[in-house]
Amino acid sequence: MPPAPAVELNQLSKSFRVRRARGTGVGARVRDLFRPEQHTVSAVDKLSFSIARGERVAFIGPNGAGKSTTLKMLAGILQPDGGEVRVLNLVPSRQRRQLAFQIGTVFGQRSQLWYQLPPRDTFELLGRVYEIDPRTHRRRIETLSSVFGLGTLVTTPVRHLSLGERMRCEIVASLIHSPRMLFLDEPTIGLDVSAKAMIRELLWTESEREHVTLLLTSHDTGDMERVCTRAIVINHGRLLWDGSIAALRRSFLKTKRVTLWSEAERLELSLPGVRVLSSGTYRTELEIALEITPLGQVVDAALRQAAIRDMAIEDAPLEEVIRALYAAADDRGAPS
Amino acid sequence: MTASHVGKYAAFSRIAATQARSERHELYGRMAFFAVILGVFSSLWRAVAEAGMPIATDPKSLVWYLAATEWILLSAPPIHIQIQEAVRRGDVVYRLGHPVSYVVAEFAGALGLLAVRAPFLGLTAFLCAFAFTRWTPPLAALLIVVPFGFAASALITALYLGIGLLAFWLQDVAPVYWVWQKLLFVLGGLMLPLECYPAFIQRAAAFTPFPSLLTAPASFVLGTHFMTPGALAGRLVIWSIAIALGVTWIFGRAVSTVTINGG
Repeated sequence: MPPAPAVELNQLSKSFRVRRARGTGVGARVRDLFRPEQHTVSAVDKLSFSIARGERVAFIGPNGAGKSTTLKMLAGILQPDGGEVRVLNLVPSRQRRQLAFQIGTVFGQRSQLWYQLPPRDTFELLGRVYEIDPRTHRRRIETLSSVFGLGTLVTTPVRHLSLGERMRCEIVASLIHSPRMLFLDEPTIGLDVSAKAMIRELLWTESEREHVTLLLTSHDTGDMERVCTRAIVINHGRLLWDGSIAALRRSFLKTKRVTLWSEAERLELSLPGVRVLSSGTYRTELEIALEITPLGQVVDAALRQAAIRDMAIEDAPLEEVIRALYAAADDRGAPS
Repeated sequence: MTASHVGKYAAFSRIAATQARSERHELYGRMAFFAVILGVFSSLWRAVAEAGMPIATDPKSLVWYLAATEWILLSAPPIHIQIQEAVRRGDVVYRLGHPVSYVVAEFAGALGLLAVRAPFLGLTAFLCAFAFTRWTPPLAALLIVVPFGFAASALITALYLGIGLLAFWLQDVAPVYWVWQKLLFVLGGLMLPLECYPAFIQRAAAFTPFPSLLTAPASFVLGTHFMTPGALAGRLVIWSIAIALGVTWIFGRAVSTVTINGG
């Protein structure tokens, strides 16, 4: 019998009641004070998917799509209004404490480190919280400190750490009890390029090394591409796409970017579906709509004008792929 | 509750105490404020006594009474502010996700802060009250104030915790705190023993925990017991149970309706 999935959602729903201002006039404000107008916002709407153990999944969606709300329901922090959810074969809302021993959470804009104290103090506290044997705990801190290159950071007060250093410590804090599943909510937000690269590399390595299942939300497509192999895209709380990142690209990538270095100073390529993005001496950058004109046809046309010295073919950035996905969903009206 | 449960909550107390020690300046600020308050009120009570105004007891005892009530009040860490900030920033999401009782963990952390503050503020109270009055109450009276004062501070902390939990709905708990604080000042007898107040206030106060939190433990320094130690201990136990049940109920309601700020 195959092992149960790490995460299983079936028609999961969650809505919130929010106040809506009637207007800006004095009368409207007085009425708002005594009888506020409330309406219900559906944050997660009958969401279903499952994640196998050991998978690294990017959970994508625009702001307000319901990603963080879903993560908090998976961690047992928020209670769903409807549907079913199981994480590591436990029901988060009913078995929160049991589940907490097996999952780790990283929220990029929040902190679990005690601000005035060195991270080591928080690690010690978490050792107690997760009931880890002191010797095992010491070894675990040493291992993670070495993998994450913490060095003297563990003894430096958190208030003196840079954002990147703090985030490495936050991730170590979340891994300290050897969780089988890690939920990451924008772990690289606000970090510089090198800190982002380091966090991505560490997450990937740690997931491989300990076979930890990852579910990562981020607006940075670099996080998704470097760390994850699968993408789940949601909008308005509903599922838009579930499949591999490569398949996502294939399905929504309708254009390619081609740069040609030619013997001729300029190339004149006026083909349907071909847009010249930039044109310099001996260099032409094109965007080609593949459904209209195949790539080979463009290259043939260029060769008829001059010899080609070099050529680079690139996919459009994943941001554009995701934008196309959102646009396609909006065109369809209510996405499903 | 097993030993490992006690150990994990004790760890919250320890780390909070460590943090309190690292925030020494805040403690020094409280000690300075305390000294100023006692200086002002010792002058005020002397002036009032010289003017022949009706005061229930002698001014020196009143300064020691105020030292005791302020010690109890200032030792209690205002954790409602910490909880409110954690709810506003969304950091509460981590605490809610840990395999601990959020309420007990917060309270244990607050007791750690209390354990650091109470001795320093107690010493300040003793030294300042002695400096301003050149007199000390009987040692037996002081020794009985300390455990009851510490218990009352812990209970005030639990009430702060309850107020802090309201941040899950209100976001800003300052208005609730102000109302609570004014009630404590009046019905608890912060400045003057409750016996000095009109009878209807005393009758109203009897239905609240406030007299057990301030006037009853502090009255031991006056030599006139507002309650006997046994009666006060009983009241503190009853109010502890009532407050624990209230806080648990508020938290239960909070987690079932919780929304985390920032998605």
